[in-house]
Amino acid sequence: MSKTMKEITERGNAYNCIQCGRCTGSCPSGRECSIRTRKLIHLAKMGEEVFAVPELWECTTCFTCQERCPKDVKTTDMIIEIRNIAVSENYFPTMSEVPKIIIKSLYDTGSGQPLSPEVSKMRSIIGLAKEPFDVGKNEKDLKDFQKLLDILPLMKEVAK
Amino acid sequence: MREYAYFPGCIGKNVYPGIEKATRLVFDTLDVGLRDYAYSCCPPPGVVACYDKESWYTIGARNLALSEQDGLDIMTICAGCYGTLHNVWHELNHNKELMDKVNENLDTIGMSYSGKSRPIHFVDILDSMRDKVKSSKEIDLGFKVAVHYGCHYLKPSDVTGESPEEPTLLDELVGLIGCESVPFKDRLTCCGAGGGVMSGEPDLSLKIIKTKLDNIRKKDVDAIVNICSFCHMQFDQSQKKLKTFDIPVLHLNQLLGLAFGHKQKHLGLHMNLVSNRDLVKKVKMARKVSA
Repeated sequence: MSKTMKEITERGNAYNCIQCGRCTGSCPSGRECSIRTRKLIHLAKMGEEVFAVPELWECTTCFTCQERCPKDVKTTDMIIEIRNIAVSENYFPTMSEVPKIIIKSLYDTGSGQPLSPEVSKMRSIIGLAKEPFDVGKNEKDLKDFQKLLDILPLMKEVAK
Repeated sequence: MREYAYFPGCIGKNVYPGIEKATRLVFDTLDVGLRDYAYSCCPPPGVVACYDKESWYTIGARNLALSEQDGLDIMTICAGCYGTLHNVWHELNHNKELMDKVNENLDTIGMSYSGKSRPIHFVDILDSMRDKVKSSKEIDLGFKVAVHYGCHYLKPSDVTGESPEEPTLLDELVGLIGCESVPFKDRLTCCGAGGGVMSGEPDLSLKIIKTKLDNIRKKDVDAIVNICSFCHMQFDQSQKKLKTFDIPVLHLNQLLGLAFGHKQKHLGLHMNLVSNRDLVKKVKMARKVSA
């Protein structure tokens, strides 16, 4: 189901890009670090291995660039989809273990941010059930959820 | 009585449960029913969508499918959850091939999704009942606040239908309960948490939020008010990490809860890392004046 680079650039209208740089100028990350959205789109368009560029992981996916693009290039959508290729090619963000922990928690508990004993206590202090009503509450729901995750590509990527 | 399926999200229930509780109290005051379902994490547009989009669509669709048989739309209190669920809903309704693939996945656990059950951000519900919000006010808080919209509530606008460069809804909503939204430099920029940056590139995430906090501090506000549990976590936890800030952070439902006269303890104000002590004092003063 995951797209090839060619599909990503075509569906993302990358060939519309006139390299005006409004994306780079709008980027809140670009003010603080070396990500240059215009360059990423250019590399993608030219068929370069943009998935291996570390700056790919510096985008907060705020969609400001995509919103402001005068040529309807789907910059943020493309960055997210190129990251899917990066993961399958074993390129990860700097703290590569943390996202894996979040995904593992998603599998084990149904929540990316699990409930700690401290917060469980705080919940009862403010009049909520100690454990929230969610997929992790009932064993059958959680088993079904894990059965669903077992067939998804996400878990294979994390298990690598 | 209006009723919605209630999607509290991982952070709203497992990290800042005051947000889950405040939402229940506020919507009870507004005579809006909230029903619980066995939801999983949305899952996050940052970590999960960036790792594998098909998994993101499938897990999101499972959440959407849960309330579909009851004909309920899903109310979210986090721009991240909203971004995921709304994008999944939108894309599946426009891409039959993807809808079929997702339903093939869901079929392994005997579920299916038709695309009907729709996510809605809680501020849009508030927008549709402004008179009721106004008449529910018991305390004139009179706070000066810095509002933060949350990127995935506003953008991409061809999916959200919002006005991302000049939004006014949140400014108007805080105005309904007697608070003033103070303009500040670059108020619409990202908080720096999304896209897996908070978890994968934490140093960069802190730099982005520091610039934002510097701009807010210049305006001497009583609180930062957000409509996203994930932004809430970023604003609160980052101030602790940066050590040099102490601006109180409130989810809009916590602010509304205060204005509606609910006890601060029940709204979880004491659960933030940044102390809300001064803010609570101001609420007590306002309560006396309004009594």
